[in-house]
Amino acid sequence: MGRWGTRGTVTPHEQNPSPRPRRESNTGKRRKTKRKKKKTDLEELKKEVVLEDHKLTLEELSAKYSVDLTMGLSPRRAQEILRQDGPNTLTPPPTTSKWFKFCKQLFSGFSILLWVGAILCFVAYGIQFHQKEEPTKDNLYLGIVLAAVVIITGCFSYYQEAKSSKIMESFRNMVPQQALVIRGGEKIQINVENVVVGDLVEVKGGDRIPADLRLISSQGCKVDNSSLTGESEPQTRSPEFTHENPLETHNICFFSTSCVEGTAQGIVIATGDSTVMGRIASLTSGLVVGKTPIAVEIEHFIHLITAVAIFFGVSFFGLSLILGYGWLESVIFLIGIIVANVPEGLLATVTVCLTLTAKRMAQKNCLVKNLEAVETLGSTSTICSDKTGTLTQNRMTVAHIWFDKTIYKADTSEEQTGDSSGMGKTFAKGSATWFILARIAGLCNRADFKAHQETLPIAKRATTGDASESALLKFIEQTYSSVKEMREKNPKVAEIPFNSTNKYQVIMVTGDHPITAKAIAKGVGIISEGNETAEDMAAQLQVPISQINTREAKACVVHGSDLKDMTAEQLDEILKNHTEIVFARTSPQQKLIIVEGCQRLGAIVAVTGDGVNDSPALKKADIGIAMGITGSDVSKQAANMILLDDNFASIVTGVEEGRLIFDNLKKSIAYTLTSNIPEITPFLLFIIANIPLPLGTITILCIDLGTDMVPAISLAYESAESDIMKRAPRNPRSDNLVNHRLIGMAYGQIGMIQALAGFFTYFVILAENGFKPSDLLGIRLNWEDRFFNDLEDSYGQQWTYEQRKVLEFTCHTAFFVSIVIAQWADLIICKTRHNSVFQQGMKNKILIFGIMEETFLAAFLSYTPGMDTALRMYPLKLSWWFCATPYSILIFVYDEIRKLIIRRHPGGWLERETYY
Amino acid sequence: MRRQLRSRRAPASPYAYRYRLDDQDEVNQNYLADEEEEAEEEARVMVVPDLEEEEEEEEEEEEEEIEEEEKEEEKGQGQPAGNAWWQRWQIVSEYLWDPEKRMSLARTGLILVIYFFFYASLAAVITLCMYTLFLTISPYMPTFTERVKPPGVMIRPFAHSLNFNFNVSEPDTWQHYVISLNGFLQGYNDSLQEEMNVDCPPGQYFIQDGDEDEDKKACQFKRSFLKNCSGLEDPTFGYSTGQPCILLKMNRIVGFRPELGDPVKVSCKVQRGDENDIRSINYYPESASFDLRYYPYYGKLTHVNYTSPLVAMHFTDVVKNQAVPVQCQLKGKGIINDVINDRFVGRVIFTLNIET
Repeated sequence: MGRWGTRGTVTPHEQNPSPRPRRESNTGKRRKTKRKKKKTDLEELKKEVVLEDHKLTLEELSAKYSVDLTMGLSPRRAQEILRQDGPNTLTPPPTTSKWFKFCKQLFSGFSILLWVGAILCFVAYGIQFHQKEEPTKDNLYLGIVLAAVVIITGCFSYYQEAKSSKIMESFRNMVPQQALVIRGGEKIQINVENVVVGDLVEVKGGDRIPADLRLISSQGCKVDNSSLTGESEPQTRSPEFTHENPLETHNICFFSTSCVEGTAQGIVIATGDSTVMGRIASLTSGLVVGKTPIAVEIEHFIHLITAVAIFFGVSFFGLSLILGYGWLESVIFLIGIIVANVPEGLLATVTVCLTLTAKRMAQKNCLVKNLEAVETLGSTSTICSDKTGTLTQNRMTVAHIWFDKTIYKADTSEEQTGDSSGMGKTFAKGSATWFILARIAGLCNRADFKAHQETLPIAKRATTGDASESALLKFIEQTYSSVKEMREKNPKVAEIPFNSTNKYQVIMVTGDHPITAKAIAKGVGIISEGNETAEDMAAQLQVPISQINTREAKACVVHGSDLKDMTAEQLDEILKNHTEIVFARTSPQQKLIIVEGCQRLGAIVAVTGDGVNDSPALKKADIGIAMGITGSDVSKQAANMILLDDNFASIVTGVEEGRLIFDNLKKSIAYTLTSNIPEITPFLLFIIANIPLPLGTITILCIDLGTDMVPAISLAYESAESDIMKRAPRNPRSDNLVNHRLIGMAYGQIGMIQALAGFFTYFVILAENGFKPSDLLGIRLNWEDRFFNDLEDSYGQQWTYEQRKVLEFTCHTAFFVSIVIAQWADLIICKTRHNSVFQQGMKNKILIFGIMEETFLAAFLSYTPGMDTALRMYPLKLSWWFCATPYSILIFVYDEIRKLIIRRHPGGWLERETYY
Repeated sequence: MRRQLRSRRAPASPYAYRYRLDDQDEVNQNYLADEEEEAEEEARVMVVPDLEEEEEEEEEEEEEEIEEEEKEEEKGQGQPAGNAWWQRWQIVSEYLWDPEKRMSLARTGLILVIYFFFYASLAAVITLCMYTLFLTISPYMPTFTERVKPPGVMIRPFAHSLNFNFNVSEPDTWQHYVISLNGFLQGYNDSLQEEMNVDCPPGQYFIQDGDEDEDKKACQFKRSFLKNCSGLEDPTFGYSTGQPCILLKMNRIVGFRPELGDPVKVSCKVQRGDENDIRSINYYPESASFDLRYYPYYGKLTHVNYTSPLVAMHFTDVVKNQAVPVQCQLKGKGIINDVINDRFVGRVIFTLNIET
């Protein structure tokens, strides 16, 4: 591996297909044209390597690079070339400046809306400052708070991103390297970046190749090209030209591959970015990566909410102007509506949820570099891998048995003894159903024990057949009777194969020879038994391949050299018409093309890989998964996720976690969005019905950034409602994170009940203090009049401005508390989308903590001395806490009934309209 | 892969996907995977076979619809791709009104009906809650009065400002004060007071026991009590001579009683600056206090003719041509007049700027 990421001077690097021995010195001119050429360069890079040096004789080589094959370059000449070509390093990918990234965080999503709100606040304050002698500073503070919210959220997400990329920086700086060159007849040890084209280099076992070399002599030299080709078998290297393909010929060693044994001398034919490895690196870093599915979903959701906010904001701004409010008042209304509509804390919540999942995955040895990639695996519909064997070899055991309407727990421990004594007690073995179930599990099962294992405990015996069937076999053997006997008694008459369709597609992309690849694919089930390739069919029917309708063959093995000549349409055709595809002998460029092909067809593609050769595909994939132990730095850098223990079974964990977090984010968002309605409606009624404001902007922020946060995050800890692994991968075009059903539920139904809870509390407090609801209509103008200090209530009492403002703020506090209480129920109903809470249980301790936390926070905000001046929140009477409880119960009952109907009528009308 | 391809085609209406998802294998398989669901579904089939058939018919229809839509979509794909807005419009319009099946609208209509009933029941719930609220609230006596205590203070004339700027020689600058005061004092006219209210003994509370819902009598506060500030002798309330009258009243609070034997007094002085800017103030009634007989107040419903007692301040000698900030405070037990946040509790601050 080169000094990848060494921050040397960056020189414009050539991206010509063929590395040239000499370069003109007019680099400045080239720099100008470079940008224009960038796109074509990338296309160029996707093509195969063209190299002629391996065909040259030693004399021609010596002449071409004007170098003496025993003395090497003169030091002076080497310096000259170094000055011309620049150091022998891979150019680090262009990184966007930190400030730019930070600013992007500051001005994306809701931030713009909040900035508008903050600016309006400052404008309103400015106007007030000029109009009145003693302006209230409310707007100034609100503006500052809003700006602070935006900046803090921005910092938060920026920190999240920066933190994960730093991990990679440390990886990058890991490999320092020296090279042994012969210059002017002297062997000298130099830094690898000083190696130049034409240098005579000596490598020995254990070294890394410092640049692309054309060997001139070798003594038993073997190299490990695995980082480039994926083949880990050491290959002999000698000065002889053995193959047309530069990657296969024996006389070329590649930059950053390692010499395993022996020694060799060679002439440097390319350095830095123009090496084969450098080209892959440039290709990788130059690729434009699409947004992650979750980013697309969040963007979609932000657009939705922003549209709602703008719609409400603009229409009520217009309405308030029509109703005769002044510009200033209308602007203040607009601020309120914006603040109420934007779920300020939601993006932070989503980030925290993703972080939690990322941490959970890290514990299971899946290091997620980019937070958003956490979910991507869950949406993955196609996995391109060349190490699929381990992926499907994850073992399974029977954990639960369901019959007679009861779920029985099975003993899953490895240590259980061969006889079934430990098992039988746990479930009703006498049941007729159990007998039938056991017979089915034993007979309709193709798995079998391998021979001569009778002494081993059943759980540890090796089996043939697929993992789930093996699990059933072992279970029946343990708990029922010998399957062998059973099968002998009931001979097989016919077989109806079982095919699970709800799986993601696995495409095998490998550098192996097609025959090996096919054998492996069949071995691990990528090409399932019974499915044949067109070639197989041709062989079986003894007809030429041309007579076979390739569409009839579900499986397909494609050779890399065929792929090279294919058009995009032909590739699409293959990907569409075959469900089981193996690509063999693929080059890095071809892997990239395959990934792009799958993405063109709308699939969300995961790519696993460890070599540098996989990196373009890793980068282009929706989620690239690199190996933590065997993986190269480049692959780790290109990937979104790293399997720290190289165990492919972790991918399954990843898929599960990804799907779970997607479901839980839905719940989290549904929970958070619900409180938007009780936040908006007070403003609307304030404007339309001219009542005193029931909920202020400060209290809205207290909900969005205070009480709602922990409960929303706690939903990330919610366990799955059903077996999420049995589902088909999410369709990114129709299964949105936030759809109109979710909005309908949150805004149209639960939110409305919550709003009623708030308003009821508001009316109770005002009525108990003297202002009956009927007298509140139209009172706003007098209520807000600072000089009107003897406003009469329904009992004839007279209130000063400040007294009724205290009352109003008490109402804000109570409204806030009511929302908190209604959110209890909302949190509990958001735990599940389909099951009843009674089925799901209240095992989520964080969620219970969340409920406690929001309640204590609400009490703290209400009762702490000094809150009246700090946040204008006032202590409440105990009875006012209970005003919202009927509504809280109503929410719970309503949603339980809704879910009950959904469960009773799957696919029914209610589900279509309200199941989010 | 095939599955992905099918769903790859953009839907012609937002609902098309849902049909596809809900009615075809994908979602069903979700449920089939869940064995419990399967059992429940079977149970349902047995109980209501008719319903199931109907649903199936519906599903068929819907599937046809999808196919048609897909065909349409395929035709549409031939068009130049730049017309994204047009496509969007089509999606929206088909969502609102699908000309072939009239399904979208029917469905939308059904949703509206359901929402109507949902909101109607919510309205019923809130009505019920409000009804219980009114059952618990007395119409005569507010449940809590601590927010309105201690009493606030307000002055008359009131013209949305507490700066009294006027020029003695220009009646236009003070005429509105006079009109305001006259209007305010109409309710205090002696004739009216004598007709409506009783003359109750001074120096003691005017307590009227008896049922809550009984009408209460009110004590007279006659305009003539205000002497020089009554506007009876000097109809300009002293404004024409640069000696303005300002009336002060304490906010009504149901059940509020000042300390016995210690009526609430009013005293005014210069708030900031030279104390001699105001050389003399005459108070009417001369005691400068609110007599105990005006308390307690029994509330608007029963204490209909209650007349708030007043104290008039006659600023007979104030420095002219300069703004004089005046603070009038209530003094007495149970009175707080130094709340920082509220400058109208137990006190009132205004400026006099009399030009000659």
